[in-house]
Amino acid sequence: MAPAPSKLYADDVSLVVVLLDTNPFFWSSSSLSFSQFLSHVLAFFNAILTLNQLNQVVVIATGYNSCDYIFDSSSDLNRSFENGRMPVMCSSLLQKLEEFLIKDEQFSKEEPDGRIKSSLLSGSLSMALCYIQRVFRSGALHPHPRVPIDSCYIGAQNSAFLQQASYITGGVHHKPQNLDGLFQYLMTIFATDLHSRSFLNLPKPVGVDFRASCFCHKDTIDMGYICSVCLSIFCKHHKKCSTCGSVFGQAQSEVASASDKKRKTPET
Amino acid sequence: MPQVKIIAKNFMDMVASLPAIKLDMLYRNQFICEAILRSLPPLAKKYVLQMLYIDVPITSKSLQEWVIADGSSKHKVAIDRLIQLRVLEVIDRKKETAYKLNSTFQTNLRKHLINGGILPREPMPSNVTARLPTLEELDAYAHGQWECFLLQLISSGQAERSTSFSSSMMRIFQRGLLRQREKEVPRLTESGFQFLLMDTNAQLWYVIREYISNSEEQGVDQADLIAFLLELSFHTTGEAYSLNTLTDDQRAMIKDLADLGLVKLQQGRKESWFIPTKLATNLSVSLTDSSLRKQGFVVVETNFRLYAYSSSKLHCEILRLFSRVEYQLPNLIVGAITKESLYNAFENGITAEQIITFLQQNAHPRVAEKTPAVPENVTDQIRLWETDLNRVEMTPAHCYDEFPSRDVFEAASDFARVHCGLLWEDPKKMRMVVKAEIHMLMREHLRGNK
Repeated sequence: MAPAPSKLYADDVSLVVVLLDTNPFFWSSSSLSFSQFLSHVLAFFNAILTLNQLNQVVVIATGYNSCDYIFDSSSDLNRSFENGRMPVMCSSLLQKLEEFLIKDEQFSKEEPDGRIKSSLLSGSLSMALCYIQRVFRSGALHPHPRVPIDSCYIGAQNSAFLQQASYITGGVHHKPQNLDGLFQYLMTIFATDLHSRSFLNLPKPVGVDFRASCFCHKDTIDMGYICSVCLSIFCKHHKKCSTCGSVFGQAQSEVASASDKKRKTPET
Repeated sequence: MPQVKIIAKNFMDMVASLPAIKLDMLYRNQFICEAILRSLPPLAKKYVLQMLYIDVPITSKSLQEWVIADGSSKHKVAIDRLIQLRVLEVIDRKKETAYKLNSTFQTNLRKHLINGGILPREPMPSNVTARLPTLEELDAYAHGQWECFLLQLISSGQAERSTSFSSSMMRIFQRGLLRQREKEVPRLTESGFQFLLMDTNAQLWYVIREYISNSEEQGVDQADLIAFLLELSFHTTGEAYSLNTLTDDQRAMIKDLADLGLVKLQQGRKESWFIPTKLATNLSVSLTDSSLRKQGFVVVETNFRLYAYSSSKLHCEILRLFSRVEYQLPNLIVGAITKESLYNAFENGITAEQIITFLQQNAHPRVAEKTPAVPENVTDQIRLWETDLNRVEMTPAHCYDEFPSRDVFEAASDFARVHCGLLWEDPKKMRMVVKAEIHMLMREHLRGNK
């Protein structure tokens, strides 16, 4: 899966920050090979840069141990090459990607096995949002940028998290049916600048699963416990919040039964 | 006051007006395809990308389904533009129209996206070129060349050196901007004043448009010139390209472009080369792009005084158009915006909006951060002074007098009111003023009544 937040300056100028999921555990079992996927995606980046001289593409790789920037089209090295842009972009991006993958794998050698090897999406999402904020601070045009998060999901199942994220931020979520034509999906749906989105018929969210999932097991739950400090959701009572570390008191149901007992005794 | 507007017509409109065969030849160049794509309205860009890999024609009904109801006007604009540039071909089937991308355009844009375009020339190695100018020096050079050209254009006699444009060429540029009566010094027309207040990009388009329109007479093919200019916009600013890589026609053009500040020509020991400046590489960007704003230099104070941090003669001339320049120091021009100076400007056909836009767009960085960049009392007053000249509104009219009876008068007055022509009436003395447009109708009416 590869989510992509986009930003608007004026009319159709766009800053697109792309989070590429590079988790090898996923890609080794995917029907679309990583190299084929990259060829679609690189052409997609080139198309965005072709559309407008001022468009900017930033790519952040999301590994299972770390996240890092692997491409920025506005950096000096990349900027001066309007001529022969594709070869330069490909070589620079692929080289950085390879270095990142090697480093990512090395991290897990230091850790014990057994941990679920999921992609660090929240980390790369934070990096992306911080980057966008920084760009807008220096621009002084839009103090509170509207950042829709588009997500393109590749894989057998569904991601409730990505569906919710795209729905809430006003982005588009799509799971391409025919992966041979991934480039066409990317062109039609994801290469739309924010200005044009208000006029085009893009995939609408159908049946977004809004149920919350608990932080300890990632199961969807209907009733549970919430930390009053950071609003993390748990399916059963914990002594301490795993996100913010605040200590919880007794569970409400235990307190009620204790006071009930106290009241009953004097009467009898 | 009649509003004459110079429409610095977009480069792309010129391209669109080329004959079909020439346009097809242009589309064989990948960079031109990219430049054309960039010039399209945003919706049109999307359509091109979506249809890039579709080989069969798409019916216009299917295309319409891509847009929601709100966007149908933008949809129409996009489709019309694509057809005008012959990017989209119309295939009229018996029942419904269908569209297909121009095959030359499609093939070359595909190649461009997948492989990336390579220019026909490479920058020269640095061991051959002597010390190249830095980007700042290049910017200053481009700016200087352009200013010199402009000063000569408005023939203020203040240009330090003359350009190598032939006088006939200069006359063509000046057409519409200057008016010369016999034995008189050429004066700027209304359009000329407006031209001076436009920003550099818009001025550049105007001049280049005139240059291209007249290239046929010089023996240069219009399409070739357009292709070369578009290709030039994809070169890297500040890099040296050998003159040997140019055709003869292009070599002739390059000298003219150097005079305008688009390229800098340099000579080494054995070879000579040209260096594109920012003016050239920004050619394919749209007119309204604000990132090309050069640094501002004007500070306007709330007491109507004007301080312009510039040593440019051109700036001084422009400020003199609407303000009273009081002192000119080596790096500072001091002036004041007065009622007389503004009346002078209005008489020459400049509008208050143009003056205010000029002041805002050229505001010194120190004041540009504040909102508003130009004090509100100044902008309000400029507008008020403009409306001063519009205080009296004239409408041709006729006065009717000596009505035989009150009934006839009232019938006539109702008639005029119904036809929205009644301007004034005096029931006591039975007089009224009616618009000239319905004078004949009134006469018929009055004759009918008698």
